[in-house]
Amino acid sequence: MKLVFYSGGHDKENLSLDKNFIELIGKKNPVVSFIPSSSYLSEQEFKVFVKHYSKFKISRFIHFPVDVPFDRIMFQEVMRSDAIHMGGGNTFYFLHSLRKAKLLKDLKSFAEKGGVLTGLSAGAIMMTENIEMAAYPDFDRDENNVGIKNLSALNLVDFCFFPHFKNSSRYDAVFKKYSKIKNKIIYACPDGAGIVVNGQELRFVGKTFAFSDGHKFSIN
Amino acid sequence: MNQAKKNSLDEVGKRSYSSFARVNGEHPFKSQVPGGRVEYKARYKKGGKVAFFNFDLAKEMGLISKSHLHQLNPDLEREILETFSIVIINEYDVINKIKFPEDEILPNTFMATRYLQLQHPDKCGRTSGDGRSIWNGTIRSNGVTWDISSCGTGATKLSPASNLNKKFYQTGDPSISYGCGLSEVGEGLETLFFSEVLGKNGFKTERVLAIIEFEKGLSINVRANPNLLRPSHFFGHLKQGNLKTLKNVADYHIARQIENKQWSQTTFKNDKEKYFYLAHQVAKCFAETAAKFEDEYIFCWLDWDGDNILMDGGIIDYGSIRQFGLFHAEYRYDDVQRFSTSILEQKLKAKYIVQCFVQIADFLTTGKKKSLSQFKHHEVIKYFDKHFTDCKERNLIQKIGFKKNQQELVLKNHKDLVTRFRKTFTYFERAKSRKGIYKVADGVTRDAVFCMRDILREYPQLYLTRQSPLSHMEFMEVIKSSYAKKGDLKLTELRKKQINRFQNSYMALVSAVEKESHQNRSQLLLELTMRSSIINKYDRVTGDSITYIVQKVQKLRPKLNADELFKLAQEFSSYQNLDPDQKKISNEVLPRHKNIMQNIYSIVRECREGI
Repeated sequence: MKLVFYSGGHDKENLSLDKNFIELIGKKNPVVSFIPSSSYLSEQEFKVFVKHYSKFKISRFIHFPVDVPFDRIMFQEVMRSDAIHMGGGNTFYFLHSLRKAKLLKDLKSFAEKGGVLTGLSAGAIMMTENIEMAAYPDFDRDENNVGIKNLSALNLVDFCFFPHFKNSSRYDAVFKKYSKIKNKIIYACPDGAGIVVNGQELRFVGKTFAFSDGHKFSIN
Repeated sequence: MNQAKKNSLDEVGKRSYSSFARVNGEHPFKSQVPGGRVEYKARYKKGGKVAFFNFDLAKEMGLISKSHLHQLNPDLEREILETFSIVIINEYDVINKIKFPEDEILPNTFMATRYLQLQHPDKCGRTSGDGRSIWNGTIRSNGVTWDISSCGTGATKLSPASNLNKKFYQTGDPSISYGCGLSEVGEGLETLFFSEVLGKNGFKTERVLAIIEFEKGLSINVRANPNLLRPSHFFGHLKQGNLKTLKNVADYHIARQIENKQWSQTTFKNDKEKYFYLAHQVAKCFAETAAKFEDEYIFCWLDWDGDNILMDGGIIDYGSIRQFGLFHAEYRYDDVQRFSTSILEQKLKAKYIVQCFVQIADFLTTGKKKSLSQFKHHEVIKYFDKHFTDCKERNLIQKIGFKKNQQELVLKNHKDLVTRFRKTFTYFERAKSRKGIYKVADGVTRDAVFCMRDILREYPQLYLTRQSPLSHMEFMEVIKSSYAKKGDLKLTELRKKQINRFQNSYMALVSAVEKESHQNRSQLLLELTMRSSIINKYDRVTGDSITYIVQKVQKLRPKLNADELFKLAQEFSSYQNLDPDQKKISNEVLPRHKNIMQNIYSIVRECREGI
């Protein structure tokens, strides 16, 4: 599988991750689809997205909001694209919309068949087993305004991903505690950092932290 | 409340909101068009509360400073109430010798203007006009003079009820509704939400400055615009052959347009040139407005009395305004005695209004009122027709997503391509459901079956990624609306031809711009993709959605103060701003508004193809 987990941050901060992303695509003039977490003002987000990736000589993009009905033709084109990027925003709302649109299975299959799947913040959490991370920690969490209870997501990797991590004792305490309950390792990335998955290989870009069994480790 | 307003002083002893004092009933129309208004004494109306205040508009009008916080404070609230919470002392009050405390009576009079209205039996404008509104006055700021008027300020003798029943009504008389002189918060909110969205999207429109709320959902709704004159302000005097007052109205209007720098020509050799220039300006504005209404699916009940529209084609009175999601060309509003015009008939009515202005120009120049039919083929009418078509073509290439300079290039050098595309675009846009005409809550309609916004939004993306056109079936899949049934989607030979024509002429336009602007095709299609995704946004507001949103907001209102309502209106209009060139977009929604806004988005989405 080819996945890129973006934490967040500015264009320049993500340059290394972007280079990895382009490398993973490995094709000239690819088609990249953008799935925003919500259609609200997503046209503006799409503009920013296009402007950013045009720098990498990509010129074919699809804007594909999933919380509004879409037609079969657009959907097929998205699934045929070389890469799909899932945007940031409210993770609960995003999952709710993906599930309502019955897209979870298709996105999983897209990644399994070799399509490059990337996500930023909420979009990155979406690629893990579930979106529990969006509810942590209490002082920095998404609101579950849509009231969803089934938090299972794409389950493409066997780790948890926490974006926008701030290296502080407050966060450490929460994640140490959480990692004790969970059997999975938590990778916490500050803005600009992220993870690249290419088959069995896991590459960490930027300063990343790992929490496992009540301990914290620094990677890179 | 005393006639001399209480002064709100700031720390240095200077009055904080002194501009409000200028809005006191005085208006140049009173002296310049004495035959065009009725004057009323007025009094302060107690028990009002500011439900909404438009801080942005107030800044534009110079009523508050540019740096004023978007928050009401006790001084500002008091100024708003003292200025706008008023009710007229009408004929009923005078005849019945109703006494009001002296200190509640305001020093100046306020005018209700006379204009032609179809509903009145005399149909000549002798008895009609502002039936429940008065003009608060004018205010000048940054080179623009603004008119301010308020609706719900009491029953005037110009209301239809008063004339149909030949009696004067007491303000608030429960035996009649429209003629009782009052208005409701819901009306104000509907105008607020609709006008802010349409204003942001390039429509000329009245705007809501304030809503003052009273018990039982009643309100005074304060509106503003740089010129609140309507064609019907002229037509009453035209019908009556009242040359003197007609000339007064025309001269007053011309002076205001020049004062507000709305006209490029400001001096005239003679009256003939002046009044025909007026007719030409009306033709220009009404051609633009009629084309925009048709292209943006705005239903505005234009009729020969010209009372539902401003002189520059701006929208006034949102009571019957709708925006359709699709081109529902046969929707008609049922006004009990008659049905309204349909969206396609608006152009003819606009043209008729222009023809009346040619008649007016001739009347004012020669002193003789000729038959309207004599002006049917006048140069001004020809100009209207041509300008209307030009506007339609410009609107269409703007909707495709071309930038302004690209639009100019195409219109200058490849007009034939635009016309060709417009023909096939119109074929799909106007396709109607086989279901036929049926009744809806407030009238009759027949469904359109294709969603042109969808195809304009998706086509450049699909072409860009595939580098080839869509098959006939795929095209139908993208363009079909939720109203389309199997029978509406038959792939006949004609339809197949039209699908080919649509795609070929679209790409011919792209190729033309590509060559003219030395851009490569991918870049251009990508640019169109981004721009058209904003212009042809999936969830665009419709008339029904505004109604439901206002119902929702009204339910929440007890918890929403004036500041929050202002912020909510800002958030909503920002979300519905379809300008691809907007510099900066605020996507900040107050945390406590997130749920409300989510609800609003759902409403807009659900109603997006309706009426």
